[in-house]
Amino acid sequence: MTSRVAITGYGIVSCFGRGKEAALDAIRNARSGVRTITSIDSSALACRIGGEVPADAHEGLHRGYDRFTRFALIAADEAMQQSQFANSGIDATRFGSIIGTGLGGCETQDASYRRLYKDDQSRLPPMAIAQCMYNAAASAVATKHQARGASYAVVSACASSAHAIGQAFQAIRAGTLDAALAGGADAPLSYAIIRAWESMRVLAIDNEHPDAACRPFSNDRKGLVLAEGAAIFLLESFDSATARGAEIVGEVLGFGITSDAGHVTDPSADGASRAMQMALDDGALSIDDVDYINAHGTGTRANDTTETAAIKSVFGERAYKIPVSSTKSLHGHAMGASGAIEIAASLAALNDGIIPPTINLADPDPACDLDYVANAAREGSVRTFLSNSFGFGGMNGVLALRVRRGN
Amino acid sequence: MERAEIESALVEIVRNEKQLAEDALSPETLLADAGIDSLDALTILFAIEERFHISIPDDRARAMKTFGDMITIVEELTGAATA
Repeated sequence: MTSRVAITGYGIVSCFGRGKEAALDAIRNARSGVRTITSIDSSALACRIGGEVPADAHEGLHRGYDRFTRFALIAADEAMQQSQFANSGIDATRFGSIIGTGLGGCETQDASYRRLYKDDQSRLPPMAIAQCMYNAAASAVATKHQARGASYAVVSACASSAHAIGQAFQAIRAGTLDAALAGGADAPLSYAIIRAWESMRVLAIDNEHPDAACRPFSNDRKGLVLAEGAAIFLLESFDSATARGAEIVGEVLGFGITSDAGHVTDPSADGASRAMQMALDDGALSIDDVDYINAHGTGTRANDTTETAAIKSVFGERAYKIPVSSTKSLHGHAMGASGAIEIAASLAALNDGIIPPTINLADPDPACDLDYVANAAREGSVRTFLSNSFGFGGMNGVLALRVRRGN
Repeated sequence: MERAEIESALVEIVRNEKQLAEDALSPETLLADAGIDSLDALTILFAIEERFHISIPDDRARAMKTFGDMITIVEELTGAATA
């Protein structure tokens, strides 16, 4: 018996399209997926750009669910297919579905409220509640793949999927589950949600140049770019994976989870650094073991400087030797799905010998002085990496992961 | 509206929800046999109400067992609406 937790499959749907190959291609070529939003009428919005999932990546699939649930189902299908987990004889009652989301069924909520308050209709579609509940994705994925063990949603803003993966990791390590589909899904590109974000004045609004809008760690950054999508991992005990001869494509080593208990939108370096240290300690790792950090890297002044300071406080001088990049520069900020999308994108790249870049880093902020893998992907051999996720409300989640077994 | 017209519209509504074969529905078809569960029925009822601008009372909805019941209810309620 070991208590190690393997990744035997994963799936991703994002503004790059459907599947990990699409994500890998974009990362390898440092090509942004941010574009003009077309899934809703964005003409009246100040911000008309986002990391929108292209229509051909999801249309016609998993009809009858909210957009965020359909993304989760698409990503889970890919994870299941890669892992060859179905019909492997595992005990379904020890198989879970733990899926994070920041905002749940925005599409359904937006359509429902529009109908009630704008169109003056008095009744709503009977499935509105079942479609917009936060656990809709966890439930649909559990049902589709017959996960009859612990299944629930994790809601902690932009740390939701990091926390969901962490929860699944802990459950498998503790022996209460043998396997789980874990990750995150969000689809916040609705009229009302974009309007609400506009009011916070943290969006990078560059409607003429969508691909240049998100500029983490760059002095000329303007804020974050909203995005959508999902990434789901098939996490499995090493015993289960080994017994059925599954290919192990990665490993979760440690999980750190902390709260700032401070300002609702202004992050603290203390909360972030404690989460990183906790992930290292949990995985029995030293700072020298870490070869890459996938930053939260939103492209807001508050995040980028605080996160940089937090990395330095944990890694000291070694911070300057570790490549740190923000793939949000390429795919935007998919809210509760962002941690999972970033881990999936990182795994795809790192397993291919590529360190993901931070694009649009034209003019480094003097307060952000680490190696951010500026503007172009880099070849490199990474064995162990951290993935940072920090959410509004001071919710922090950090995962320590290992690239492919034996690497 | 003629009964045949209502039937044809209802076939379209139900098939849109359940992707049934074209000949899967006859007035005698039990809705349960066509794979329509209580949740499907809610969505179908909602679509019927929208299409015909009627409101189907809960007791009538609960009593609806066959596709023929569905046609009859719509026939009655649309007749009442235009009477």
